[in-house]
This record gives sequence, structure tokens and C-alpha cells, in this order.
Amino acid sequence: MSAAQEFWRWKEYRWHDPAVDWRSAEIISAGVDIGSVSSQAVILADGRLYAFSSQRTGFDSPESANQAMKWAMEDTGLTLKDLHYTVGTGYGRVNVPFADKAITEIACHARGANFMHGPSVRTILDMGGQDCKAIRCDEKGKVEAFLMNDKCAAGTGRGMEVFADLLAVPIEEVGELSLSVEEEPPPVSSTCVVFAKSEASALLRAGWPKNKVLAAYCSAMAHRVVTLLERIGVQKEFAITGGIAKNRGVVRRLEQELKLTALSSSYDSQIAGALGGALFAHTLETKRRKSGAVPATESA
Amino acid sequence: MNEKRTEPNAESGNPAAGAAVPRFSAACGTCGSTCGPQPPTATHGGDGNRQPVANQTSAGPFAAFRDWRLDRAAYARQWKQRTGGKVIGYFCTYAPEELMYAAGILPVRILGSHEVQNVTEPHIFGMFCPFCRDCLAQGLLGRYEYLDGIMIAQSCLHIRQTFTSWQKHVPIDYSYYLPMPHHVQSRHAAPFLAKELAIFQASLEDWLGRKIAAPALENAIDIYNRNRQLLWRVYETRQAADPPLSGEEALEMVLAAQMVDKQDHNAALESLLARLPERRLPRPTGARLMILGSKDDDIEFIHMVEACGATFVIDDHCTGTRYFWNNTDPDGDPLDRLARRYVQRVPCPTKDWPARTRVPHAVALAKKYGAQGAIVMQQKFCDPHEADVPALTKALNDAGLKTLFLEFDVTVPIGQFKVRVEAFLEMLREDDLF
Repeated sequence: MSAAQEFWRWKEYRWHDPAVDWRSAEIISAGVDIGSVSSQAVILADGRLYAFSSQRTGFDSPESANQAMKWAMEDTGLTLKDLHYTVGTGYGRVNVPFADKAITEIACHARGANFMHGPSVRTILDMGGQDCKAIRCDEKGKVEAFLMNDKCAAGTGRGMEVFADLLAVPIEEVGELSLSVEEEPPPVSSTCVVFAKSEASALLRAGWPKNKVLAAYCSAMAHRVVTLLERIGVQKEFAITGGIAKNRGVVRRLEQELKLTALSSSYDSQIAGALGGALFAHTLETKRRKSGAVPATESA
Repeated sequence: MNEKRTEPNAESGNPAAGAAVPRFSAACGTCGSTCGPQPPTATHGGDGNRQPVANQTSAGPFAAFRDWRLDRAAYARQWKQRTGGKVIGYFCTYAPEELMYAAGILPVRILGSHEVQNVTEPHIFGMFCPFCRDCLAQGLLGRYEYLDGIMIAQSCLHIRQTFTSWQKHVPIDYSYYLPMPHHVQSRHAAPFLAKELAIFQASLEDWLGRKIAAPALENAIDIYNRNRQLLWRVYETRQAADPPLSGEEALEMVLAAQMVDKQDHNAALESLLARLPERRLPRPTGARLMILGSKDDDIEFIHMVEACGATFVIDDHCTGTRYFWNNTDPDGDPLDRLARRYVQRVPCPTKDWPARTRVPHAVALAKKYGAQGAIVMQQKFCDPHEADVPALTKALNDAGLKTLFLEFDVTVPIGQFKVRVEAFLEMLREDDLF
């Protein structure tokens, strides 16, 4: 299969702020989020967002971490040696070779969302590649309670990739297309990705157009995570992080079910975990300097 | 510390996954069937036991317990050779072990192996718990061939189906169903059970062809009480700021108690208690945790949690305190006393009604042992335990403990549980990161 036919393949990207001179920063901190599907690296200069990258996770977590960070530092002149403190997070958090500390993605997403949406955010839904977390936090972004999907990976990014491929719709267009239906179809009934795909195949054979099938799947996904959110208790100041936050077809339906509008942010929802890690790294480096301890990178 | 409680206990395990191939957890929790591979989970050794976990901390004074658990079959066979006695496997800790022990029988608890298997599907309902199918698998796979008999004291339907299926499909010389009353809070429960114990005694005597002598029964009660006292004393040491034993070691100790002759276990406990005062764990205590649930014999899970920077200091489950918390009174008719002991013990949720006595008991334990957080677990599909979870969680939260709920299967997905456990520990560690 050629790359052009891989409809699930989302675009990898990087960014850095050319207006910032990292050399004049006191603290350069970083977070690396090695997820099951995607990896992000975020670099902060004195607590301000300076650079990030987002790419697919390979089979080798340490290598994915190296690549994500290398790409984030591209064209900036930064090297690993310039990072004062790095936090690894995500599924591969203990496999980030240059990290000073591993922190769970649950804590990192809460911290990242607190930065992206401000201290009022209380409920966070992280819709990742292979899991989904409902998090309740305080005004500092400290986790008070959380729940994760523990039954299967339905309602996650990987499931959406499967549908993009099945219907030959580029993954970035799935959400919009699903919203183009005139009448909302009932959600697919299967919660298992594999069975949902079988169900979708049957719907296609029955003559359903692509947008209707996608609507049925996005709706099922939204419905599924609502139950997770309701178990933890949704408060009005509610934000979504992770890749699925970019899928309007899921987000819109989720908002309708919850009768709430998710907070919007100018930051990329997918970097929330790595951003939270970098923010913790900044705090930990600040504490380290206050205590006069040996730099983490040297003691490691 | 033998608290006055009127309760029963429960334990039967629970439901789980279907058949599959080793190295993958087979169950899809949603559909309850095998719907595809999940990430590899820990696998364990066969023969009803599990392989030692890497870096296991239970060397030294706890090695004896672990060795017994790892080779329980060899122990039982040697015991039979040594004593000429018979071995009965029981399915639930409501089994009146003293009565069997007095008859020269070694009562051993039938437990699962935490391995994926594919032999129980035709015999156990899909919505029954993982523990009951894991136990039955051990019988069907011939891992308890050394048993001369099996028995169960009624606790829940799931484990009873394991018992009846075992009766039907595994050749066995003797089997007995003891109708342990459910309504243990009724004043009729103890008298009822005393009569049932007399019938059980007659059945054992008939099987063995000899009477159970009164002094033998008194002796058995003494030995079992002694065992519970010694276990309490070891548990008491866990109240210290830095407990001298890990939760994993405590679990090994209680599991071994369910497998070996109490006289051997008592000797090992005496020796342990002599060594505990100068013992220290080779690591910081970390977060002080409690674990609550049905039966928690998943060593690998306990090990994983403690390796994340925590120590279990107390529990409420039937491979822990619920097994040994209550003693038998010293005076009176022995069957009456035994009946009272089993009726009044810390209850299993199947028997804890209409009053929910287990909840205040668990909260009191948490406070006494200084737990900061609690892992509330249940076996998948275990309705009695699941029904307790909201009340238990609320009571623990009200008492200032944070809680983490986890649902267990035959095998546990260590990676997926680890992130939940680590995030939970991060929550407990106050403001380290802020």
C-alpha cells in the first residue's frame, strides 16, 4: 500500500517561536510525551512555550523520544545539553533516555490543560491514541480524581484511524464530514473497534453514505466517553486534550450530550501532556536551584 | 486487637475472561468474551503456583512462606506421607477448618494460578467471576491431584458453581457442601450453623471411619487461635512509621497460612516474630496504602504497586485480615463456639446485610494502621463486592483517604494498572510537583 492510501496517517508537525531567544533564558525545561500512537516534545524557555513537535510513535520508545526532541530542537540551535530539566510522560515515560524524571500523563495533562485554559479548568477529558482519561483537578492543575477507560480502546484515536482507513477519508477530515449529515443517525451499537468496523461495513453495504457512517461512529465515541465523564462528575469549566480534541465531529456531539461547551484554546490540544511535563520540569528545576542541589542532569 | 465484630466474610472471587492463549489477557471487559489480544500481562508458573517475581523482596524471614506457596503441591504430598492424613481443598474461608484439622485432615484453600486458560468455558457462566473460573481450571488441569476431598461453605453462587463443576468433572473421593447461613446477622444463624457443623462432623467421621475425639477438636481450636494471634502480632508491627515488612510479604505469609499445617505455620511465625524487631525494609516506606477487596492473591500486582514507592500496611480481603481477624471463644460447646466464630467474623459482602458492618470496620482499620490511600479492588462481575464499592469509597473518602478503584481479572494488565497506580501515588504525594 502506498503512503497516499493510508488515510489514517495524520500530519506530523513542529513549531518554534523565532521571537524568543532561548540563550537568554534562565531555565530551559522540556517534556516528552511518548504515547501509544503519537509522541510530542515541548520545550519551555523560562516557563514560556518555545518549541514543540508531534510525530508518530515508533516501536522503539527511546528512539521515538530522541526523534521527537531532536525535531523540536531543529533550527533552534538547542541541544540536549542545554535542557536543564526534562520530564518524560506517557505510555513510554520510563523510556525517555534523557529525562530526569517520569511523571504520569494523567498529572501532566491536568497541568498542561491548566496552562492552556487557565486556572478555572476543573474537568479534563484526554482523548488519546489508545486510552481515554477523565480528570478532575484543582486551580493549580493538581489531580483530584481520575478515571480511565479500562474495558477496551473503543472511543480512542486508534479506533478513529481504523474508520478513516475503512472509509478512505483522510483522518483530519473525518470530523467535518461526519457533521455534514442532514439527520443524525443512531450511533453504532458495538463498543469494540473491531466489531464496530464490521457493523460499519454492513451499513455501507446497506447503502449508507460515508458521512452517515462516520456520524454514527463519532456519535458512539462521544456517547462512550460521556459515561466516563459522568462517573467522575463534569464541571462547567471543561476542556478536551489529546488528538481527538481536533475532531469536531466527536467534540460537537460530546458537547451536545453534556450540554456544555468545551473551553477553547489557541494551543495545540495534542501537546497538553508534553506541555504539562515541561511545566513540571520548570518547577522541579526551580526547586532544585533553590535547594542548591546538584543539577539533575549531572547527578543522573 | 481481636475486635468485636459480627460479620461474615466473603471472598469468592470473580469472573473473568474466556479462553485464550498464554501471554495475553483474553478478556474483553466490555463484551465479556475473547475479543482480541490485549497487551501482554504477567504470566505465572503452573501447578497452582506462580513463579517468583523478579526482585522479590521476600527473602530472609519470609522465604519459608514463599517457598510453601510456590510448591504447595509438594508440601501437601509430603504432609500426607508424614502424617498419613488426608487433604481437603476448600473454596471459601467460611470453611470450618478446625473441624477438618481435628479429624487429621489438612484443609487447604483452592486458589487460582493467574494464568490464561481455555478449559472452563463450557462449565462456568460467562458473567461469573474470574476467580471462580481460575479455581476450576486448576482442578480440570489436574493441579490438585493430591486432594482427597473438596468442600465449600456457602458464600456466593459463582464459587459454588466451581465446587459443583469440580464435583462433576474432577474425580474426587469426598465432597461436601456446607450450607453456611447467609443471614449471619440473624440470631438464628449461629445455632443453625452449629447443627450444620454437627452434620458435617458426622459426614467426615463416616468418610474416615473414625470419630473425631473431643480433645482433638479442642486442640485444633487452640492451634488455629494461636495462628490467628501470631498473624495479628505480625500485622500489628505494620502500624509503625516504617513497617518491618512489605504488603507483598504479608500476603505471602497469609497465603501460606491457607496452604500448610497450622503447626508448621505457627513455628514459622514464632521465628519471624523473633526476627522482626530488628528488621527494616531495604527501601523507604513511601505512601501507606490499604487494599480492600475479595481475595487479593495477585503477588505481581502487589509487587508492582510497592515498587512504585508505596507500602501496603493493612488490608480487608480474604487472603488477608478477613481470614484470620476473629478468634474462637475458649469456653463452651466446641461446635457452638466454632459456629459463633464463623458467623461473627469480618463478613464477606455476600453476608453483610441488612447492616453494612464491614464498612466501619474497614475505616477503623485504615485509621489504626495510618493508611493514606486505599486501593479498592474487585473481581470482574463480582456483584456483592461491587455493591459495596460506593459505600466503601465514600466512607474512606470521608475519613480522609483517597481511593483508587481497580477491576481485576485472572491476569492483570500490569502496564495499564501501573499508570493508574502511579497517578494515584502522585495524588497522595501532596505538592511535590507544584
